[in-house]
Amino acid sequence: MIPAPALLEVKDLHVTYGQSRRREFQALKGVSLAISPGETLGLVGESGSGKTTIGRAVLGQTPISDGSIAFDGEDITHAPRRRRKELGRQLQVVFQDPYSSLNPARTIGQTLAEPLSTDPSLSRDAIRGRIAEILRRVGMPEDTAERYPGQFSGGQRQRIAIARAVIGRPRLVVCDEPVSALDLSVQAQVLNLLNELQQDMGLAMLFISHDLTVVRHVSHRTVVLYRGQIVEEGDAQEVNDHPQHPYTQALVDAAPVPDPALQRAKREKRRARRLASATA
Amino acid sequence: MSESAAETPADVFTAKGPASQDKPTRFFRRLARKPLAIAATAWLVAVSAAAVLAPWLAPADPLAQDLLAVKQTPSQAHLLGTDAFGRDVLSRLVYGAWPTILGIAEAVLIACALGFVLGLAAGYFGRWLDRAITQLVDLLLALPGLVILLSILAVFNRDMTVAMVTLGIMGSAGIARVARSATLNVRNELYIDAARISGLGDAAIIVRHVVPRIIGPLIVQLSLFAATAVLAQTGISFLGLGVQPPAPTWGGMVYEASQTITDDPWLLAPSGGAIALTVLAFGLLGDSARDAAAEGWTRGTRRGRRPAPSPRPTPSPRPTPGPTPATAAASPTAVLSVRGLTIVADGDTGERVLVDGMDLDLEQGQTLGIVGESGSGKTLTSLAIMGLLPPGTRATAGTMVLEGARYNLARPETLRRLRGSTLGMIFQEPMAALDPCFTIEHHLLEVLRHHGKAPRSQAKARAIELLELVRIPDPKDVARRYPHQISGGMAQRVGIARSLAANPRVLLADEPTTALDVTVQAEILDLLRDLSEAESMAVILVTHDWGVVADSCDRALVLYHGETLESATVEQIFSAPQHPYTKALLRANPHNAAVGQPLPTIQDSLRELLDDHDKETVA
Repeated sequence: MIPAPALLEVKDLHVTYGQSRRREFQALKGVSLAISPGETLGLVGESGSGKTTIGRAVLGQTPISDGSIAFDGEDITHAPRRRRKELGRQLQVVFQDPYSSLNPARTIGQTLAEPLSTDPSLSRDAIRGRIAEILRRVGMPEDTAERYPGQFSGGQRQRIAIARAVIGRPRLVVCDEPVSALDLSVQAQVLNLLNELQQDMGLAMLFISHDLTVVRHVSHRTVVLYRGQIVEEGDAQEVNDHPQHPYTQALVDAAPVPDPALQRAKREKRRARRLASATA
Repeated sequence: MSESAAETPADVFTAKGPASQDKPTRFFRRLARKPLAIAATAWLVAVSAAAVLAPWLAPADPLAQDLLAVKQTPSQAHLLGTDAFGRDVLSRLVYGAWPTILGIAEAVLIACALGFVLGLAAGYFGRWLDRAITQLVDLLLALPGLVILLSILAVFNRDMTVAMVTLGIMGSAGIARVARSATLNVRNELYIDAARISGLGDAAIIVRHVVPRIIGPLIVQLSLFAATAVLAQTGISFLGLGVQPPAPTWGGMVYEASQTITDDPWLLAPSGGAIALTVLAFGLLGDSARDAAAEGWTRGTRRGRRPAPSPRPTPSPRPTPGPTPATAAASPTAVLSVRGLTIVADGDTGERVLVDGMDLDLEQGQTLGIVGESGSGKTLTSLAIMGLLPPGTRATAGTMVLEGARYNLARPETLRRLRGSTLGMIFQEPMAALDPCFTIEHHLLEVLRHHGKAPRSQAKARAIELLELVRIPDPKDVARRYPHQISGGMAQRVGIARSLAANPRVLLADEPTTALDVTVQAEILDLLRDLSEAESMAVILVTHDWGVVADSCDRALVLYHGETLESATVEQIFSAPQHPYTKALLRANPHNAAVGQPLPTIQDSLRELLDDHDKETVA
């Protein structure tokens, strides 16, 4: 199925939260997935499905109970801290909340310099050049580097967060609900930017979202997660248009479409199913 | 409508962000703007200078006695008078500042260094380290401070330095607690995660991201502790432990004054005043520091979750500004009509219009969608109808006709009677709308008791009935549970049940499903629709989601920066939107976009649509 060797390969991943055995919660129960270089994998699920946990596990932010994660052929499941530091340049992240993800007390320039600070070969001037270049690339004005996050809107902050993620020229970016907190008009711009960067830089992306239509738009393949397990996987378009698993079908049915006639039909179908299940 | 839009330049919609103020002022600069902080600092600097420069500043030898001039009140020769041995009080005061200042400095430095490190380590690293440090801190806080100090003085032969170091160690507990909780807050911020993922070490993260954010609360705590240290140091001197008489100390001077308080009350004033002023200065400094820190949070430099909507860029010239008698006639069939609702925010630069002369009509049993993006004023509109506008905003005009009765929306107190009876409301965060201390049943009974005079048993039965009405399975069991024991979807059902308790004619739903999963959203929307049909209740649904509009609304009203751009039936809005903004917003939805193609952004769409519009008007 996958022609090139996978850039990221997750095998039978188990993550369990909680200290005592009685109160533990299995967030992931054996998840396997792979991302090729330059590919976008959409990860869809509702709250509690474990989609964010997968992203955190890949980034080394959560302890793994069982299974393995390989990046570019190297097992990084329990990578030591020093190795993690080096991986920081290749593995990056964009979070949902553009407010909490930028330190209000530091200038945009200081924030953007952070991923480059682990690279001793870069001079101050080189870093400044890279910052100017990336700000231009994400469509922010030139004086952005000297300003503070408080002076920017949510959409602009998300552009800055994206700039921070890609400034070190990573190979994989985990996007955890990057547009969920944004207005529709801003969402479109940010999605376009992510798509462009992905193509220009040959980025691979793990795109986590609760919204199937957004995932369909940006992903090559989609994985549907339900209670810590994968229930369906396939071509993004295919999963959205012809869902096979009952859960995916319910997900597609439940998402309201911006078309009154179509939506009315959907609603009637839903209602009929509910009445049927109530009488059954 | 399209006329006014044509005059709106396309770049209006490029996100310029909230009006950029100057650089966010840092903590110390904000502190330096407070007169009380300046006065307090000036006093403390003066006392410290006096302590260090005493040999040069003092007019006389503090130990030189002059038995011919005892117990004098202030004069030219002795600016603050003399004591029982005729010693110059001013000189003694100046010399006495040294042990006090030294003691405070010792205690504060120790408390700061120890408390800061302990608190930071506990908050940042957590786990066993946090548990160990927290236990230690609890232990320190439980020790009786004065008793420990006295025993230390006894053991170490009245050594003031040892006593003040001990005080510092004990005071570090309070500092550590503050540092720990401040660190815990910062630690959960996503930028810490981002820094760690970028490969930064703990030391770099602490220095760059944590310390700058906890320094404010720490300064507050330290200055309050310094005030305590002044009292402790002078207290010890008063008892004659520590520095030995006749060497001057502030506490010792208070003791001397107390011996002659009946025949020379003045003697208490200089030493007592100096102590009081120093304690006051530390207290005021702490207060100002707390205010300065709080301003940093509330100025919106941090979570300006909703950047205050900037004043409308180009107020398009409306042919009839504000409500006019022509539009003021309420629709005769509507259950709720609003005319000319205007909401303003009071800011530094005067009033800013947030909602401008809005009209709406809600027919019986219908659902009206108020659609807009953040800052459009959609939530404010629903809050104004309830008379619940947040502080800092107010309705300046607007009338509401509800079931034939007229209300003035600019006088929210007249709307109180309507809330929870004729008008019901549900919110975006269902969990936040429930009090975690009370059971679900209690929440419902509270409302039922307020509105009806039914006996308790009947009210209880009605509460269960309401839970059945919102399709909660096993309502009797759920009624006994607390809010944290139910899911978000269930909580929203309870919210709906509560708002239904008084049979409202109109239900205002502010983004009722935004915080919920799509499958739960579908259930809640179905429920709202069925209830609206069954109870012939009209619904105002505030939302940003076109899918929800298509699903649930009969009519929709599109808001942009407080201005109603269009109002039509849902079919019209979707099939033939009139305003370019509506068209652009619909096209930006990924649902309608071709895969692999960039999404048409608002700017692109508007430019295109405006070009077309120009061509049409030319032709």
